Amino acid sequence: MMLKLLIKKQLAEIFRSYFYDAKKNTRRSKTSTLLYFLLYILLMVGILGGMFTFLALLLCEPLSEAGMGWLYYLLTGMIAIFLGVFGSVFSTYSGLYLAKDNDLLLSLPIPVGAIILSRLAGVYLMGLLYSAVVSIPSAVVYLIFNFSFKAIVGGLMNVLLISVFVAILSCLLGWVVAKISQKLKNKSYITVLISLAFIAGYYLIYFKAQSWIQELVANAALYGEEIKGKAYFLYLLGRAGEGDILPLLLVILLILALTGLTYLMLSKSFIKLATSTGNGTRRVKAMRSAEQLSVGQSLLKNELTRFTSNANYMLNCGLGAIMLPAAGIAMLIKGEELAAIFESMFGGERAGCTQIIMIAAVCLMASMNDMAAPSVSLEGKSLWIKQSLPVTGWQVLEAKLKMQLLLTIIPAMICMLCIMPCFGGNLAEKLLALIVVILYVVFMSCVDLFLGIRFPSLHWTNEIMPIKQSMSVFIALFGGLGVAMLIGGLYFAFGWRIGLTAYLAAAAVIIAALSALLLGWLKNSGAKAFEKL
Amino acid sequence: MLQINHLTKVYGEKRAVDDLTLHIAPGEIYGFIGHNGAGKTTTLKSVAGILDFDSGEILIGGKSVKDEPLACKKQIAYIPDNPDLYEFMTGIGYLNFIADIFGVSAADRKSRIERYADLFELTKDLNQSIAAYSHGMKQKLAIISAWIHEPKLIIMDEPFVGLDPKASHLLKGMMREVCTGGGAIFFSTHVLEVAEKLCDKVAIIKAGSLIRSGTMDEVKGDDSLEEVFLELEGEGVEK
Repeated sequence: MMLKLLIKKQLAEIFRSYFYDAKKNTRRSKTSTLLYFLLYILLMVGILGGMFTFLALLLCEPLSEAGMGWLYYLLTGMIAIFLGVFGSVFSTYSGLYLAKDNDLLLSLPIPVGAIILSRLAGVYLMGLLYSAVVSIPSAVVYLIFNFSFKAIVGGLMNVLLISVFVAILSCLLGWVVAKISQKLKNKSYITVLISLAFIAGYYLIYFKAQSWIQELVANAALYGEEIKGKAYFLYLLGRAGEGDILPLLLVILLILALTGLTYLMLSKSFIKLATSTGNGTRRVKAMRSAEQLSVGQSLLKNELTRFTSNANYMLNCGLGAIMLPAAGIAMLIKGEELAAIFESMFGGERAGCTQIIMIAAVCLMASMNDMAAPSVSLEGKSLWIKQSLPVTGWQVLEAKLKMQLLLTIIPAMICMLCIMPCFGGNLAEKLLALIVVILYVVFMSCVDLFLGIRFPSLHWTNEIMPIKQSMSVFIALFGGLGVAMLIGGLYFAFGWRIGLTAYLAAAAVIIAALSALLLGWLKNSGAKAFEKL
Repeated sequence: MLQINHLTKVYGEKRAVDDLTLHIAPGEIYGFIGHNGAGKTTTLKSVAGILDFDSGEILIGGKSVKDEPLACKKQIAYIPDNPDLYEFMTGIGYLNFIADIFGVSAADRKSRIERYADLFELTKDLNQSIAAYSHGMKQKLAIISAWIHEPKLIIMDEPFVGLDPKASHLLKGMMREVCTGGGAIFFSTHVLEVAEKLCDKVAIIKAGSLIRSGTMDEVKGDDSLEEVFLELEGEGVEK
């Protein structure tokens, strides 16, 4: 009963923005809630699910025909685990240990185990959401080629077991981060560094995965025998996916044992980690005479301090600041080669396609910076401070906007300058490319802030909610992606007919006009809306 | 200093504050008492410019909170009942942020921070993250931040909650000092003994309406404030 209540609270928190309109302080209508869920399903199932359905279709038929369905399940299972862990690991630490209501719940007559289990439900759900976009399509595709009762059971169990395994891995990684964080001074930066190393590993595997899969499929029989001989357990995992009863039972037992062990480990250390407030050493320093800042500078500093003190915020909303210069350096090394490949693919009649791909790619990476989107919600219970200070709503919003511009335009320009040697085109095209990228950043920053005001969520108990699970961030992320792809896609569809210079000039004018409109809204209606939150 | 005229604030069907009129002159410590949900916080938030109200007017130093919110906010400081401060900042970072917003010079803020932080024994903790502060420490920090720009009017919602006896004593002295310097204090409290000893004037609010106000003597006469309050609330005590 207690656990049910806690899980209900946890789920209500995660899906709050779908049911509750924070701006109007009322419940959403059933139609509105349904539309939000449909949008979410469309993005998860339509885009990510579609991508993995395509991959499953490529793998399933040849492997099934070769009698190696187990290898198919092993491959898709590993991809699902990889995606699931990657999707949920960043929120596990804060979800488990940093929730604002930890103290409250621990003070109530609730068994610690129930609190942990309810937190785990949140972690499990995140892992399930990500792993299921691979595991469900792979099970469905397998059934298309091998329909049987055994296959249905195997497919269902596969989805379930993978999601539990993902939760176990995420919890273990979250526990490691919590342990490390306890001993560190600059936690946020260290967490970001560890996470970046994890992301680098992810992309390394991601880029290698295609060639590995191709190699594996081409020599399936050979590798199949190798796996059976040297890693029999992996073979059993694959067989479990096919629905073979004995391997399935073995895997269930193993997952159950791992779940029990993880739960034991978490429950032993939970109270200590959840109630830790750092190393607690009092540092006595001579008071430095702080330099007086203007109101604008001070508000901007406030936003930047919030950003840099929060690893989740940096990782989920500011990855572009690192990816853009990194991509620029990569382009300095491999740019000529890449440009030649694009040129051979798209050159000829459709001139300018290489350049537009580069511009769209830079915009795409810039869209990874969406720190303005959750910035309004992150004010949370401290909103009273800015509302009671002698500053206008626009001054507060301007600081949020400037933070995103500052952290995106500079890295984007570094990236663009690195690309320039292999960019090709004339001076006008180069200048216009720079202008389009800058305007894209300005436009998306305005859009992100607009979303932040339209979908505020001030009553959270864990900062991960506004940062990762809010409607504003969700739309900002996919919206940025969509606009970047639109810039590239429209050129491929029609733009090449008018030439790159004219297309970029037209794009610049349109984006500038839209930005001006949004900026006008933010200065007036947006500022008023913020003041009345 | 502060004029609240016919203030009304409605939440849906409920009139949280109903036609409230109060005037606070410079040099006055004005106590605001009432049951939970009587409308105290709504009134204080409206005065601080955080909450929009439905009708009436609030003037601070002759300026309307509705028409000139910034000019009004520059003259005041507000401390809420629960000091939810920026946990991502250090104590000193927060004080500097507030000082920057009010344009307090580097020299002035240094001397004021040193003075008040020493008084509240918070100096050693100013370089710590606010996340590691106790409720009382946050309350002390909120008080220092309110005093840092020497406001003319200080609005406080339950300021003594969470403070240790020494800090409470200090705060009372600081409140009196503000009023001696020509400022004014408007604060809510449930501690009637404190209100009785500290306030020059007091207002009692019930279900959004003002039921009694005036100087302490006018309000309580020969009785204690507690007796008067309970009687007005319809819960008279047996003597």
